[in-house]
Amino acid sequence: MGNNMQFLLSGLSIGGVYALVALGFSMMWSVARAANFTHGDIFMLGGVLTVAMFAAGLPLWAAAPLALVIAMVAAAAIERFLVRPFNKEANAIGWMLTTIAIGVMIESFATATYGPLPRPLPSPLAAEPIFVAGAGVFPQELLLPAVAVLAMLALYVFQRYTRTGQAIRAVATNRVAAGLMGIDADRITMFVFAAAGGLGALAGLLIAPVIQATTTMGLLIGLKSFMIAIISGITNPAGVVAVAIAFGVAERFIEGYLSTSARDAFGFTLMILVLLAFPQGIFGRKEVSKV
Amino acid sequence: MIQTLRPRGLGALMLGAALATAATAPAQAQSAEPCIGASWELTGALAHTGLQIRYAVEVALDEINEAGGILGQQVTLRAYDDQGEPARAVDNAFRIGEQDNCVIMIGGFRTPNAIALREPLDEMGLPWMGVISAGTRVIEHETGENNWMFRVSMKDRWVAPFLVEHAMARAPEGRIGLLYEATGWGQGAVPDVEAAMAEQGMELVASETFNIGDTDMTAQLSRMRDAGVEAIVFYGVDREADGVLRSMQRIGFRPEIVSAWGIGGQLGNTAGALADGVLVAGTFSWWGELEPRAQAVLDAMVERFGLAGPQDLLLPSGTANAYDAIHIIAAALEIAGEFDREKLREALFEVSHEGIVANFDPAFERTMERHDAITPDAYRLLAFHEGILLPIEQTPFGDASN
Repeated sequence: MGNNMQFLLSGLSIGGVYALVALGFSMMWSVARAANFTHGDIFMLGGVLTVAMFAAGLPLWAAAPLALVIAMVAAAAIERFLVRPFNKEANAIGWMLTTIAIGVMIESFATATYGPLPRPLPSPLAAEPIFVAGAGVFPQELLLPAVAVLAMLALYVFQRYTRTGQAIRAVATNRVAAGLMGIDADRITMFVFAAAGGLGALAGLLIAPVIQATTTMGLLIGLKSFMIAIISGITNPAGVVAVAIAFGVAERFIEGYLSTSARDAFGFTLMILVLLAFPQGIFGRKEVSKV
Repeated sequence: MIQTLRPRGLGALMLGAALATAATAPAQAQSAEPCIGASWELTGALAHTGLQIRYAVEVALDEINEAGGILGQQVTLRAYDDQGEPARAVDNAFRIGEQDNCVIMIGGFRTPNAIALREPLDEMGLPWMGVISAGTRVIEHETGENNWMFRVSMKDRWVAPFLVEHAMARAPEGRIGLLYEATGWGQGAVPDVEAAMAEQGMELVASETFNIGDTDMTAQLSRMRDAGVEAIVFYGVDREADGVLRSMQRIGFRPEIVSAWGIGGQLGNTAGALADGVLVAGTFSWWGELEPRAQAVLDAMVERFGLAGPQDLLLPSGTANAYDAIHIIAAALEIAGEFDREKLREALFEVSHEGIVANFDPAFERTMERHDAITPDAYRLLAFHEGILLPIEQTPFGDASN
């Protein structure tokens, strides 16, 4: 029981990270039918920028929001200059190349300036664990799934009850028709990329006190989160969050009952099998286009 | 006419054949340049490791060159980045051996990179000097023959009994677990640790791995706790060690940790008080009262590279090993009498040198096992205390009962 609870709590934590990052992928895909493959690096920037600015003397209450703003501006700029020009035609894939390339550049630049070594980010919520049914967890870790669920609910409310949110839904449903209705689809897309970047950076910021902030922390998280978004049906935010948290928990149980080396092998195999069974993703709907 | 041409033609043919033979003769027969090549990790996740070696190598070369150089020539360093990848290390080796024609090559941090160099070095006849990568197979090749690879560093086959001995001293019931990174270095240490345990008449009660980049080792540690592990022998580096300590804190399980020297000073910077009491095998510490020569080396590194002090020497043993390695190479070249790789190799078996890590007398012997200059009697146990990696004698953890 103790170990199972331990695996569950640890899984919720990493699942929360996957959920926030995957939610960003979902938002971006919905409006642009493209993804920002630097999203893992944007996640990294959330942690690394906060640590760097905190080390430079800014108080944490200023460093953290400033890091999020910088990450959001970076994500918006990536959309404007590296996705939009390469996503003008149907089935365009140039944005893949450009975002992967800029991701490598961001990581290299961050390593050259921030340094290759991990650095701690102090947080009172990561100082001492609390114990639940004999299993330990840092309160900071429990923030992650909670924030992921809140972000998903906030997104739902925003899209349902605000004009900008309704514009996002319109662009996601039919970009051309939305444009004909007077919606600036490009501006909406850039806004969504910025918001997605903010969520990714928030995940990096929240996990940094537990795992240390390092310039390489985003690579695997970004990759796994994208795959999670795909298998859950990328345009369904609630499905993405649910699958991401479930995947994080599954990883910890695989580690616990099999081995660490089995974690990624089984995890990726599981993803492939799910995709075979649900080609549109678990919560995805088949897209119908009238011709 | 034909008679006079025939011998000339034959002579020309023989001359051509001789020139062709000379051109294809092994590189070791050629004179080399007064340069020391290096393939280090200068970018990437462990970029600090290359820098930590470079501090000592450049200071040692400064000393040598200011004193007139080697054989009257100034010696240069040609350092290339391998990003921690074996394939790039091989590329760098060929660049150093063939393009730069350096007399010797210095190794970096990672064991897999060093292992990847075995055949290229043989092919080029290029001596190689490791200063960190401690994998046993770097020096003790399965073929039973190692002509070109030498090391001024620790050796896992010798480190394992050292770690096990100190772990046993801290485990009342002898319940030792092994926790290691799933790399060539970590996996290569498993048979060494198992053999060391067998020598003690014991077996490991748990053996667990983790991947590079892992931060949550809760599952592995839960199993070790359930197996009743009292002391962990650890093979990994600072970043993952930090994850281990955080995971231990999370589940309230803190056995003794006796680590191979993948852990350096950085763990104290990230884990702080959590690292207190973690024991690390090493060859040198720059903290505390140093011998005058070592103090002068530290001062030179601080001045030249703007270091704050020993706290910036994150791989204290590797840095010290690198310093001694350069002086051993210089002494051997003086014995060799010229910049020639073959002669340098032979001279390495003749050189003795009083270093800051140990008295190397002789540095190397003509057995594969003793292509390692640092023998176990020079191994030291270091311990984290208040975030600093100190000689264990300078900490409260010197007594095993503590």
